[in-house]
Amino acid sequence: MKPLLLLAGMLCLPGAINAAGEPAAPAPAPAESPSPAVSPSPTATPESGETTDASVAARASALEVAGAFSNDGFKTRDGHWIGPIRAKKPKVVQVNLYAGNQYWFIVAASDGAKKLAVSIHDEKGEPVEFHPYRDQGRAAAGFSPEISGPYYVRIEEEEGTPAVFCLLYSYK
Amino acid sequence: MRLRTCAVVLLLLGGGMGLRGETPEPPATPAAAVEPVPAPVSLTREELDSAARIDSLTIPSPGELMAALAKEARPNWQGQYRQPIPTTFASRAQIAMNIGGLIADGYIALEAADSQQVKNIGKDIITLAKSLAVSENVIARGNSIFEFAENNEWTALKEELEATQNEVKLALEEQRDGDLVWLVTLGGWVRGTEVVSGWIAGNYTPQAAKLLRQPAVVDLIRSRIRRLPERMQSDPLLKEVLEKIDEIERLVSFPEGATPTQEQVKELRDLTGQLVARIAEK
Repeated sequence: MKPLLLLAGMLCLPGAINAAGEPAAPAPAPAESPSPAVSPSPTATPESGETTDASVAARASALEVAGAFSNDGFKTRDGHWIGPIRAKKPKVVQVNLYAGNQYWFIVAASDGAKKLAVSIHDEKGEPVEFHPYRDQGRAAAGFSPEISGPYYVRIEEEEGTPAVFCLLYSYK
Repeated sequence: MRLRTCAVVLLLLGGGMGLRGETPEPPATPAAAVEPVPAPVSLTREELDSAARIDSLTIPSPGELMAALAKEARPNWQGQYRQPIPTTFASRAQIAMNIGGLIADGYIALEAADSQQVKNIGKDIITLAKSLAVSENVIARGNSIFEFAENNEWTALKEELEATQNEVKLALEEQRDGDLVWLVTLGGWVRGTEVVSGWIAGNYTPQAAKLLRQPAVVDLIRSRIRRLPERMQSDPLLKEVLEKIDEIERLVSFPEGATPTQEQVKELRDLTGQLVARIAEK
């Protein structure tokens, strides 16, 4: 089994191993349509307070990436965070993660955001090792915590004009 | 160990991790051109202090805790069922907490792959939601739950359960009853923690016990409940809930790297169990 894992790591295939020697989260693949189970619930839109075309577009884009992960058994949480973002003004949200689970944090934005970054930090704010993904105005970070507890997810628009972002996550 | 080290080296060369300042090569993605990612920096004090804390993202779903436990062991989820709870309560606060508890029950039934139990719980959720007069969209969700359960679509069911919970919360907010939203969250978190701590207490391993570390969750729930209107906080049940939450916080707030003893896990199981029973008491 270990040689197989090694080969997978070399090829960086889904199911590969991460730097800690643990199974890595799978790679995003061409997305299928988002899961019908996910509602348009605006329960986590504290900054916008309302659903707009831009927020719908941002969420649809994030769900497209999440849809790819669901092919590998990841469940997408219905909750999400939508709000305005502008270049070099990062946003941070606290999350609570469980050791042993695998997570993908996915951020997408409406037109205007050219380049997004997402990173994961421990409870002291120090960056943790994660699996990065970035593509055409979307970004994601894959992480398998070894310690249960609070973490922080930081998102930043590195290039672009003011936009609306949507952050959500998947786990398995 | 040697293979593991080799794998790490190879992956760092070929895959890359977010901490590296170089251009990492992310996983193969046939459809997308993946761009390089710069090394992240530490959060500033201001970023830590002003970090958003959001009900539907910051509070994990009961399913996440159960998924983590399922990696440590093979729990007998059916053994964690409880007797059906009453579906009529006089207080809206109590109804909200019980809806949350039922959502957690739904996750337990899902882990047990018990479609009939999922349907029974879905029915109770709808009944309670009706008594809050938030049932219209919830009924639609309930119908989906029945359909997915009928077809054993477990992954879709997990997402649907959380969507149902959010639908209830959304309806509460629309009815200007947003104060109750955190009570739904509380009910689900307490029931989920009761079940998981109960299983760990009886099948103790240090690794599983470490899963129970959730200091920020309790802190957030408690701070939001303390913001409830005075009238609501004077409810004897909510007073009891707040007292118990303080005790529970002590047991899930152990330091990073520490391991709760079996006795401490049993105490957590008992405290959460008492709270769940009190919330469901007519």
